[in-house]
Amino acid sequence: MGKAIVVTSGKGGVGKTTTTANIGTGLALLGKKVCVVDADIGLRNLDVVMGLENRIVYNIVDVVEGYCRVKQALIKDKRVDNLFLLPAAQTRQKDAVNPEQMRDLISELKNDFDYVIVDCPAGIEHGFQNAIAGVDMALIVSTPEVSAVRDADRIVGILDSQGIYDMFLVINKIRPDMVRKGDMMDIDDMNDILALNLIGVVPDDEGIIVSTNKGEPAVLDKRSPAGQAFRNISKRIEGVEVPFMNISDGTMIERFMRMLGVGGKR
Amino acid sequence: MSKEACIIKGTREGLSILIPASLEIHEVIEQLRARLHATQHFFEGAVVNVLAENRALKPAEKREIAKAVEEFGLVMGNNRIYKPEPKAVNAVNENELLEDTLLIRRTLRSGQRVQYDGNVVVLGDVNPGAEIVCSGDILVLGSLRGVAHAGCNGNVRATVFALRLEPTQLRIANYISRSPDEDLPQPVGPELARVTDNMIQISAYSFG
Repeated sequence: MGKAIVVTSGKGGVGKTTTTANIGTGLALLGKKVCVVDADIGLRNLDVVMGLENRIVYNIVDVVEGYCRVKQALIKDKRVDNLFLLPAAQTRQKDAVNPEQMRDLISELKNDFDYVIVDCPAGIEHGFQNAIAGVDMALIVSTPEVSAVRDADRIVGILDSQGIYDMFLVINKIRPDMVRKGDMMDIDDMNDILALNLIGVVPDDEGIIVSTNKGEPAVLDKRSPAGQAFRNISKRIEGVEVPFMNISDGTMIERFMRMLGVGGKR
Repeated sequence: MSKEACIIKGTREGLSILIPASLEIHEVIEQLRARLHATQHFFEGAVVNVLAENRALKPAEKREIAKAVEEFGLVMGNNRIYKPEPKAVNAVNENELLEDTLLIRRTLRSGQRVQYDGNVVVLGDVNPGAEIVCSGDILVLGSLRGVAHAGCNGNVRATVFALRLEPTQLRIANYISRSPDEDLPQPVGPELARVTDNMIQISAYSFG
């Protein structure tokens, strides 16, 4: 019996889909059998970010409506073994699926996979209710912005009231230089409000834009800082203790300058 | 092979007996007797016109038929030659000609789906995430970047044409092909996709 994890945020554009693709790929690289599920019906993106769009024949709505079996709709990843995508329908609406059907689907997938990772749409409406149905754990993605943290807090409240208590925070797109100057919320500021277990901090990385456009998750790129952060998150999900990357420390020179008491916030 | 049968049908002028050209006169009489015997008095008193396919009945033949129908109380009417309407030579071709065509005068955007029983012509682009599914051919007078499924009812002779053919996925009848994962040089001109040798093949479109 596998574990179902929803990646959610409330706010749009904070990196849910990127996180789903990278953590899914990261866990598969660790040898786990993983299925990533795109629950964003009508605005699907996960297939594009993973570079699998041209392979879609059946989708989640076809499965739920009984036009095909789950196995027929699953798309095998082109780079990593043990990784499969269940794509969303693009030409349908969120209400083509209901939470009961999702719960059945997720539990069916959990029989075959170690991890089922659900990419949640933005918002707290029907699509969100679908995405959280039947999951065991939630990754809350937030950027260090007041609006994103506010929305994340709202999400935590809803998940709590629906009995999903296993929640972890992923801080995405953090910019160490701005944090040091005090121009951006830092990890402590965010934790102050959300009070969640932190599972990863992902630095803002131009490489992510390139990798999502090319359809190659950053975890596959050994040199990508964001990819490293996502690999670490994957390991932590697997229960491995990985020390957090020293994002706020900056470069050697910056650290040296701080030791001398020149520049920097702290 | 069983012989063709006489057709008895009611018309404004009374009953008509249609005699196929392939029947000998004694077979006609046999069939008539059997049919009229089975219906007993149902046709009694009716006027019977005899229509023979592509031939004129000889007087002796007419007399024999008259004798047979009068036995059952029917009245012999007049006798004509009829020419059957030519049957459709090739049903498939005819269907293709009859197939409707849907004209779309706009660009299909992501999430828009067109399903049609017939051909589809798009005066615009088909963007990634848009989908056309139809039983006939697909013509895109623009860029085709989405999913196109021609001949969805199993017509392997269906084709997909586009001024710029760069689809995410192409399907013709039960064949599927997808765009290559690596970047390929973009097409320079109009291209046509069709099924050849059990696979979808794309070739530059040349007219004539």
